[in-house]
Amino acid sequence: MKITRREFVQISGATAAGLAVSGLGFDLWPVKSHAQMLKLKTKYAKETLTICPYCAVGCGAIVHTSKKGDGRVINIEGDPDHVISRGSLCAKGAGLSGLSENENRLLEPMYRAPYAKEWKTVSWDWALTEVAKRVKKTRDATFTKKNKKGQVVNRTTDIVSVGSAALDNEECWIYQALMRALGLVYIEHQARI
Amino acid sequence: MTNHWIDIGNSDCILISGSNAAENHPISFKYVVKAMRKGAKLISVDPRFTRTSSKADIFAPMRSGTDIALLGGMIKYILDNKLYNKKYVSAYTNAPFIVGKKFSFKNGLFSGYNRKARKYDKSTWAFAMDKKGVPKMDRGLKDPRCVFQLLKKHYSRYNTKLVSQITGTSEADLKKVYKAYTATGKTGKAGTIMYAMGWTQHTVGTQNIRTMAMIQLLLGNIGVAGGGVNALRGESNVQGSTDHCLLWHIWPGYLKTPRASNVSLAAYNKKWTPKSKDPISANWWQNYPKYSVSMLKSFFGDNATKAKAFGYNWLPKVDDGKAYSWLDLFDEMYKGTVKGFFAWGQNPACSGANAGKNRQAMKNLDWMVNVNIFDNETGSFWHGPGMNPSTIKTEVFMLPCCVSFEKEGSVTNSGRWSQWRYQGPKPLGNTKADGDIMMELGFKLKELYKKSGVFPEPIMNLKWDYMTNGMYDSHKVAKEINGYFLKNVDFPKKKKSFKKGQLVPSFAYLKADGSTSSGNWLYCNSYTEKGNMAARRGQEDAVNKIGLYPKFSWCWPVNRRIIYNRASVDLKGRPWDKKDWVVKWTGKKWIGDVPDGGWPPLGSLEKPNPKSKWAFIMRKHGHAQIFGPGRADGPFPEHYEPLECPIEKNFMSKERMNPTAAVYATDADAYLTCDPRYPLVGTTYRVVEHWQTGAMTRPQPWLLEMQPQVFVEMSEKLAKLKGIKNGERVLATSARGSLECTAIVTKRFKPFKIGKNVVHQVGFPWCFGWRWPETGKEESANLLTPAVGDPNTRIPETKAFMCNVSKL
Amino acid sequence: MPGKSFFVDTTVCTACRGCQVACKQWHGLPAEKTVNRGSYQNPADLSFVTYKLVRFEEVVVKKKLKWLFFADQCRHCLEPPCEMTADDPTAIFRDSATGAVLYTANTKKLDAQAVIDSCPYNIPRAAKDGTLAKCDMCIDRVENGLLPACVKTCPTGAMNFGSRKEMLALAKKRKAKVKGAKLLDAGDIRVIYMVTEDPKLYHKFAVASIGAFDVSRAVAMKRMVRPLTDLTARL
Repeated sequence: MKITRREFVQISGATAAGLAVSGLGFDLWPVKSHAQMLKLKTKYAKETLTICPYCAVGCGAIVHTSKKGDGRVINIEGDPDHVISRGSLCAKGAGLSGLSENENRLLEPMYRAPYAKEWKTVSWDWALTEVAKRVKKTRDATFTKKNKKGQVVNRTTDIVSVGSAALDNEECWIYQALMRALGLVYIEHQARI
Repeated sequence: MTNHWIDIGNSDCILISGSNAAENHPISFKYVVKAMRKGAKLISVDPRFTRTSSKADIFAPMRSGTDIALLGGMIKYILDNKLYNKKYVSAYTNAPFIVGKKFSFKNGLFSGYNRKARKYDKSTWAFAMDKKGVPKMDRGLKDPRCVFQLLKKHYSRYNTKLVSQITGTSEADLKKVYKAYTATGKTGKAGTIMYAMGWTQHTVGTQNIRTMAMIQLLLGNIGVAGGGVNALRGESNVQGSTDHCLLWHIWPGYLKTPRASNVSLAAYNKKWTPKSKDPISANWWQNYPKYSVSMLKSFFGDNATKAKAFGYNWLPKVDDGKAYSWLDLFDEMYKGTVKGFFAWGQNPACSGANAGKNRQAMKNLDWMVNVNIFDNETGSFWHGPGMNPSTIKTEVFMLPCCVSFEKEGSVTNSGRWSQWRYQGPKPLGNTKADGDIMMELGFKLKELYKKSGVFPEPIMNLKWDYMTNGMYDSHKVAKEINGYFLKNVDFPKKKKSFKKGQLVPSFAYLKADGSTSSGNWLYCNSYTEKGNMAARRGQEDAVNKIGLYPKFSWCWPVNRRIIYNRASVDLKGRPWDKKDWVVKWTGKKWIGDVPDGGWPPLGSLEKPNPKSKWAFIMRKHGHAQIFGPGRADGPFPEHYEPLECPIEKNFMSKERMNPTAAVYATDADAYLTCDPRYPLVGTTYRVVEHWQTGAMTRPQPWLLEMQPQVFVEMSEKLAKLKGIKNGERVLATSARGSLECTAIVTKRFKPFKIGKNVVHQVGFPWCFGWRWPETGKEESANLLTPAVGDPNTRIPETKAFMCNVSKL
Repeated sequence: MPGKSFFVDTTVCTACRGCQVACKQWHGLPAEKTVNRGSYQNPADLSFVTYKLVRFEEVVVKKKLKWLFFADQCRHCLEPPCEMTADDPTAIFRDSATGAVLYTANTKKLDAQAVIDSCPYNIPRAAKDGTLAKCDMCIDRVENGLLPACVKTCPTGAMNFGSRKEMLALAKKRKAKVKGAKLLDAGDIRVIYMVTEDPKLYHKFAVASIGAFDVSRAVAMKRMVRPLTDLTARL
């Protein structure tokens, strides 16, 4: 996460000529070499296309991912060939690299036990196994085969779900399939609010 | 959106109301500016002067919650001045339909109202039918019982003087707005509406939008370039997630969630497949069983046999007449009937109306699963403000997902364009793609139910083969959503044959016999044997050069960029707008956009071409609905005050509020109207610098730098009255909660004159919450808002409520 | 006049602040700790780590409310007073190809306040150690055929960049189309703003000075530079 453009400069060994480089990180030359690095993207940075994850205009962005260093994002900017946005991005979109390269991100699954005052870091396998057990326990204990009128309903109203308009289409589809297969009827998301 | 972003550039007049596009859909302004440079007028109607208003030719301030009054006045203006497109209205809308004798409107109520049940008997609004079972019509629009004449009568009350009293907009401003916008009724001119949650988040939200849709129909603005009814959707994939129906009432592709009374697949299909007796009506939903059965085949694969009704009985049913919406969900949770909760990529502790109720409700859960990129106020509710962890039993599983560009998949924008995005870096740290988390959870559940469990069939039979090399594979799901031929199928009429295993080219080939699958019929055509259509990058425009870019990404349905485009032409198939045309009949075929069906033009209304179809193919009777008999709160929109409002009496009728609004009654649901403690109209909104609750943007330093704190905007007059100085911290309160925030004293809010009274309005951004920034002092404006819903959608009324602001 | 220029059409700026963030993103500049001071404008001012800032002003002109946005940045003067004040080409120099006025780490050796005071647009800002920073025209991007980050990201065409000739032509064309439009100091600087109101309503330093044009710009600027006391008083 801490890869900087300066490290890129070190990788490239470029741009030694010219005026003094102070090592402050914001002076001219490291930045200059950064642009050259991007130009030589096939060698130093992977270029992938994405669509901005915020509002639904659906602007295009180009993600530059380091091929060396730690393989993290070194730059994200508008995609000039995107026919809607033509390279433009608003404040949120222009700062997209600040979303992924962000020290506030959650990096491990965490668990909070009943009445606990703190989180505990847990493994994925433990977390998902325990979630599955909770789902099964609640579902099996509350499953309604018939409603008060005696009609077959095969559902549980004791487990509910909200989310998400932030998921990809494919994820939305499998998520609703899983939830409906479990018998959930309280399935809602951002479109309702 | 009926149209799409680029198409805004084709407009002659853009009305931005119930939206602040410059701040919340900033890149849309590329096309607003483009249109304006060609001479288009921009109108901004908003309680507050916004960044959008700063660019407008006309700014008209109006009190929150009075849109129907303002737009109803526009309908009257159109009718009084005969500014409607008569040919369009007569041919393509239900304006000529004769309404049955039982329909009436008196004292603010439509016929059939049951005050005890707070519901209408909608059968009193039915159309009069001829002997064949087709609605009776007067294409001349003169019959006193025809929709057009009833419309005239209904809106005759909406004169500018009365409208001005209600909205607080000056009569001069109203007239400016009406004149500029209705000029687009002229043939060849197009007006568009850009709206968002400022229209939907009301107890009359659905009717707000219907009022504008009716205006668009009267002006002939639907189906044409630069026109349409354009909902500016707020999340990158809220369109797609709605299409795939992460909603209680619908299944993927807007199929209905089965009701308990739909006791079999046959009964279900029969109930929800509309039947028209009119041979000229395409009545597209007649194909319903093809879509429902194909969807079940995608759910359950080979296990979905005909003998087992394709698995229909494995899926849950909802009780008839009961709602399971967001507001109901949290109401139940608050009452303690919910044990397990998934909050997946959503932050209801801040996003829900009456957020304090939601937070209290979470204490009643046994367990919660919170999936997000950052810790948020939902996952951490148990140690939030006012919470004592040692008394809260809820177990919480916080699962870290990766960001969108650390995985691969598609999202559908507001213009219905499904766009593929790729993986840049790998998921950071131990984060996972949501798809991987879902798949693994599914496998774990299947494993458990293999041993034992209640009603294991749907879980065990669920098709769950979307992995490649041990990882979730979005391409496999995308293909399933599109659908496959499950056996060799011939279409003799279309002279086409397909082999088992091939991808279905479009929904016209889906079958109701189990020989095709399609997870979502609307997306059938998105991933075909030609490849992944959403990933296309073609730069060429279509022949009509109106910015359709048909080979760039893919849009539903069947890549049609402007829907209802059969209404963009006259009866002979000639475009209303000769320059910016959408489709055109060459005498043999349609050119331009993908037409709304390939049938030839109607020719004439008296003797329509029997091979043709009415323009609005998704409607049972083939006509757009100026009269909407399916809505819960009336076939014509009527002005009612918000549930919480500053006036005792609705100037329009005896009914103060929407008589069918969904209200809740727990001790957390206080509603106070005309209470001296809460004299100010409050509203909520967003800012460009943060997104939704800010859960993704508040942890980002660059964005927090620009908008670091929650604020309340108020007029200079109100600030003076309250002794509040610009920039000082103040306390905002409502019947439900309180919020400390920074005062922005601004010229951009002005007091309204409502009737004889001065009414002050204030506004709050709802993008804050205590978890970020780390000071813990910036809270959600939804602590103030009421959990009360529109009767059709149950979307909460967070855009108009009563509150107060005082010095700390 | 060769080299590059910006044309900033404030009449279509929506203050989405894409430019402000794009600048920070490209230059890897940290965020500042800010508070809401009763305005959307934040940070409050340019700084050593904020080269581009959208300024917000609410004004009433002829009874009509206007919300003015001014995307402030270094003007890259044709005859930069800061360069003259520094008088050290290893610290402040002009790029010969683009005309960009560039600061290096050697600005640390300069009298920072003198350089700041010399700027007619109040742009340069010093770090604690005296090093100066400001907009560098994204010289690295420009040299590699890319648009400056702020221009690339702008949705409405408020920010434009190209050869000076092109930008002057564009400015002239836009000016002719917008009622009451004026160009600010177009003959003297490489960042040409177009406004419709009194420039002082947008920002105190939107224009360098009014009425100094009876002498050549360069001479006027030199005059402004030399009697530093006068300039300080003006600031």
